[in-house]
Amino acid sequence: MGVMDGILEGAKVAFSFQGILFVLMGVFLGTIIGMLPGLGPITAIGVMIPISYGMDPNMALVMMAGIYYGAIFGGSTSSILLNAPGVAGTVATAFDGYPMAQQGKAGKALAIAAVSSFVGGTVGVIFLMLFAPLLASVAISFGPPEYFALMLLALTAIASLSEGSTIKALISGTLGFMVAMIGIDGQTGTSRFTFGSASLLSGIDFLVIALGIFALAEVFKLIITRNESDSGPNKNIGSIRITKSEMKEMSGPMSRQSVLGFLIGVLPGAGATIASFIAYITEKKIAKNPEEFGKGSIKGLTAPETANNAATSGAFVPLLSLGIPGSGTTAVLLGALMVMGIQPGPMLFTEKPDLFWGVIISMYIGNIFLLILNLPLIPYISKLLNIPRPMLISLVTIFCLIGVYGISFNTFDLYLLLAFGIIGYLLRLVSFPAAPFILAFILGEMIEQSVRKSLTISNGSFMIFLERPITLAFLIITVLSLALPPLLGMRKKIKSIE
Amino acid sequence: MKRFLLFMGMSIALILAACNESSGDADSADGNWKPTRNIEIVAPSGAGGGWDTTARMAAKVLEEEGLIDKGIGVVNKTGGGGAVGWAYIATKKGSPYNLFVTSTPMIDVPLNGQSEYDYTDFTPIANVIADYGAFAVKADSKWQTLNDLFDDMKKDPTSVTVIGSSSPGSMDHLKFAKFAKEAGVDITKIKYVSEQDGGELTALLNGSVDVFSTDVSEVVEQVRAGNIRVLAVTSEERLEGETISDFPTGVEQGINTTYINWRGFFGPKDLPEEALKYYEQKFKEMTETDAWKKIRANYGWGDFFMGHEEYKEFLKEQVESSKALLDELGIVR
Repeated sequence: MGVMDGILEGAKVAFSFQGILFVLMGVFLGTIIGMLPGLGPITAIGVMIPISYGMDPNMALVMMAGIYYGAIFGGSTSSILLNAPGVAGTVATAFDGYPMAQQGKAGKALAIAAVSSFVGGTVGVIFLMLFAPLLASVAISFGPPEYFALMLLALTAIASLSEGSTIKALISGTLGFMVAMIGIDGQTGTSRFTFGSASLLSGIDFLVIALGIFALAEVFKLIITRNESDSGPNKNIGSIRITKSEMKEMSGPMSRQSVLGFLIGVLPGAGATIASFIAYITEKKIAKNPEEFGKGSIKGLTAPETANNAATSGAFVPLLSLGIPGSGTTAVLLGALMVMGIQPGPMLFTEKPDLFWGVIISMYIGNIFLLILNLPLIPYISKLLNIPRPMLISLVTIFCLIGVYGISFNTFDLYLLLAFGIIGYLLRLVSFPAAPFILAFILGEMIEQSVRKSLTISNGSFMIFLERPITLAFLIITVLSLALPPLLGMRKKIKSIE
Repeated sequence: MKRFLLFMGMSIALILAACNESSGDADSADGNWKPTRNIEIVAPSGAGGGWDTTARMAAKVLEEEGLIDKGIGVVNKTGGGGAVGWAYIATKKGSPYNLFVTSTPMIDVPLNGQSEYDYTDFTPIANVIADYGAFAVKADSKWQTLNDLFDDMKKDPTSVTVIGSSSPGSMDHLKFAKFAKEAGVDITKIKYVSEQDGGELTALLNGSVDVFSTDVSEVVEQVRAGNIRVLAVTSEERLEGETISDFPTGVEQGINTTYINWRGFFGPKDLPEEALKYYEQKFKEMTETDAWKKIRANYGWGDFFMGHEEYKEFLKEQVESSKALLDELGIVR
């Protein structure tokens, strides 16, 4: 059967009444799950596995995929309104999204996020459809040394995330790195910095850090500055309309980052988080007005939101064309397929074209539904900011506590959350930026493990990082991105002296 | 919220049960213990993993086939490769309402010094399923048989990199070491890379590593697509099924050892005798249902039922054999 027949088979699945119903259910659930930190897409799909047993596998996968990309789509909401990123892929969204909301442009920020997500998601699906079988070889081209080089490049974002003092940003990043080392070391099985506590053995969860350092720290600030009139969330929601000139400003990052985000998403293990950070730094690097980034820049919000959704579509390339899961969520999706009697793998494309194409085509429909679902809801959701401050503070606190308890059902994590809230507040007090901390935390373990895996493979020789072309290219880009700006600055200075 | 309600409900049930203790005793005197409230099965991992899936599927079959007429809730206690969940169950001493699902890490994790509780701190009820391991190489690899690989490793153990998803000293590492040792390779020099983000197959396919130590279910589709070759599976005899039956065992290649990844259900320490008998029987009945057999077939899980007594003996042997390997690898703490 040719590809065209396969696509037609898939369209039959996706455009059937059932298909449309299930994709709608999936994206609706996904949006809600994305908005609430704690109940992530992994848990939601895991819990649905027994329910989906006996369901038509096409429909089950269409729905579960909808939950997955719906959650990334909806995840921007809590980042923008409350500075509380619920999934790692939406941390970068908070960098400019929350400042925008504080300036009384919450409505616009949510609209920009929705439109960029839609564009990123849709472009991603188009690429998925055109290139999925072709890109299979790209997806497996990365070994540990390549991952190390890619993550190192992402880590250079620390330099661009510093608000003022680079030294402070580096210290903050180092702290994040140190926290990332807590737990069982993957390469030796030794526990590090756990002080005999079983609760620390698997390390500290991302959500504990994100909600502590971002959301709780913000809550503490609100409590302490409660008598100052101009602090805290602006109750003004503003218009949700995006003007023509704003659209023009968004179009650059949207077109670049939907491609870049998709490509990073194709790599198993890199995913939406790294895509969103790399999108943020590249846009900041090439922007005419980089000083606006971090203060509510439209570009700074558009870039990560486009990239994380495009990356989510990209993650389906290794999943559908090779049967390789690129993330925790796609691994659980694979498990769900197995219980329905489908063996996910490289043969899926030829043996189950209706499933393969059905999911891809349903993602177009899903993205349109997401836009239709999200845009009209914005005025209502952003009313959250109209809640009186004392109530909002309590609500956010409860929201964080439930979210963190929901990941492990372990009260120890709640104490950790509180501790990181305090650390986050103290960091702010002495104006250490929190973003490098969380970036280093997210990347820290992956960087360390990929270096050590590489060195095990090479019997300890560092040449492994220079001998492989992709690795070398990334390392050169990393060095240039760090060295060029100061060098150019120096040249300017010298010229001005002359 | 749901959990909170469940918790409230369970607390109330507990109080009622305590008030009504005399009738409970009467039941157990007959040897006909039956649960009088909802049962909790802990999966000491996140949703969607092997433990979680087994627990949820067992709960589904036990409930839907009418084997147990009380509700069964699966609760995830994530962390420490199981250690967090075990620490929780250890506080439930004697309770017939708190079961958990476990497998080989119940042996390896305590031996690695990562959990203060080992299997003797709990009551093994019944084992239900088993998977076997497989050692795979890229399709264009120079090694055609397991002996080709081990011959090269005997000359230079550091010339080969093995990848697996469990941490060093755990399943994927141990089973490869067990076979390599049997073949006469110096296992202390084996290069083992642990890949916990799902990139094992990628690393094998792009040539970053040489051998992938994993479960049989992970390799079947890749073999069918012609991407990889399975040098050996760790079962005693060839496994049944299309493609799977083509995989040679280690035994038939003269490497006389096996490795089994068992999975079953435990209760807390001091589980009352009657409750133990009750659950043992129910799990046995569960494994005999068609619904369970179909789930097993879909996941590629092998049938491996063992009752309490047999299970205890089996676990004892497993500890001995793993400990010997870990000692030699220098990992036992």
